[in-house]
Amino acid sequence: MAMCAALRCVSTNFSAALPLLSRPAHIWTCQNSLRPNILRTLYTSSRLSGALKFTDKHEWVRVEGGVGTVGISNFAQEALGDVVYCGLPEVGTKLEQMEEFGVLESVKAASELYSPLTGEVTEINTDLADNPGLVNKACHEDGWLVKMTIEKPAELDELMDEAAYEKFIKSLDS
Amino acid sequence: MSVGKAAVKVLHLGRISYGSALKIQQRHIKQHLDSSSISPNTLLLCEHEPVYTIGIRQAPYPPEEERRLKELGADFFRTNRGGLITFHGPGQLVCYPVLNLGCFKKSVRWYVCELERTVIKMCSKFGINASTSPDTGVWVGNNKICAIGIHCGRYITSHGLALNCNTDMSWFDNIVPCGIVGKGVTSLSRELGRDISTEEAIPKLLEAFTEQFNCTLTYNGSFS
Repeated sequence: MAMCAALRCVSTNFSAALPLLSRPAHIWTCQNSLRPNILRTLYTSSRLSGALKFTDKHEWVRVEGGVGTVGISNFAQEALGDVVYCGLPEVGTKLEQMEEFGVLESVKAASELYSPLTGEVTEINTDLADNPGLVNKACHEDGWLVKMTIEKPAELDELMDEAAYEKFIKSLDS
Repeated sequence: MSVGKAAVKVLHLGRISYGSALKIQQRHIKQHLDSSSISPNTLLLCEHEPVYTIGIRQAPYPPEEERRLKELGADFFRTNRGGLITFHGPGQLVCYPVLNLGCFKKSVRWYVCELERTVIKMCSKFGINASTSPDTGVWVGNNKICAIGIHCGRYITSHGLALNCNTDMSWFDNIVPCGIVGKGVTSLSRELGRDISTEEAIPKLLEAFTEQFNCTLTYNGSFS
């Protein structure tokens, strides 16, 4: 009973998710093939709406609990081609905003990465060592590059939100 | 968006050490980054003394490998370009376009593809049927005639391509070129059965470059 109450509380915030949360387990099993896509869409859209901030060098940062997760945008991964190697900084590296923090290799091209914020690297995505293609396949999620502290939160205000970034990349195509 | 064709300045460096050419590239990169006005796009052309170079993926080439290759009489450089190990030496035309991709298209994938197409176009001017493959570079059948490896930072490119004209191909026997096992290397001379020097290749490469990149070339002096 307590469980149902808890689910109901959560579901008032995520009304779109209500049908899924209240669905009994056996129906989830039947719709197993659909479930990851539906959940990913919901998860992605709730994360993307206002949560990602972008630089003009096509990196994004997502803030969760005072930690910034950094990756590259879809525009950037398409412009790179298939990523074969990710050169990332060590945990503990201190970065200034716009400082080079790593490099991605694709089609025999090494492209620099620029830090969206000032802070310290707390984690790097070790999955990318064996699976660098995640940067192409899931650039906003599993293809994240580093996590870092946010020393100057005001820097986030300088970055573009998703709508502004979409406008920005349209202007590049001229 | 610039009106008209981008201008690219051609600089013939002649026979020059790899290290010196790197310094010249860095100077030109700095010019791009410092200047707020017209970007000084430059095409550096040169030939090197025997040298093996590697890219950012350093793990396959530890100090022992560096020592082994140096003992063969070549120099060795670890660079910030993409791509694995390659050889540069006399008879190989090396071309370093230091361009602002903002004058063209802001995509390294596009840029590398255009470099490949430039070399393929140049080869066809010699009557050689070259092509691309899933491995970056320009191939004649299973043999690579031109290696490509670049760096890009703030849309400024460096490093570039290396086209075998009448290179002593035995230098490639000491490595797995570009890390690709089971494929070979070739040169313009090998494909045509006659000696083709870098001097003979330069005009055709420049012609192909202007056509493919739709740019105008400016010179400080004559071709050679």
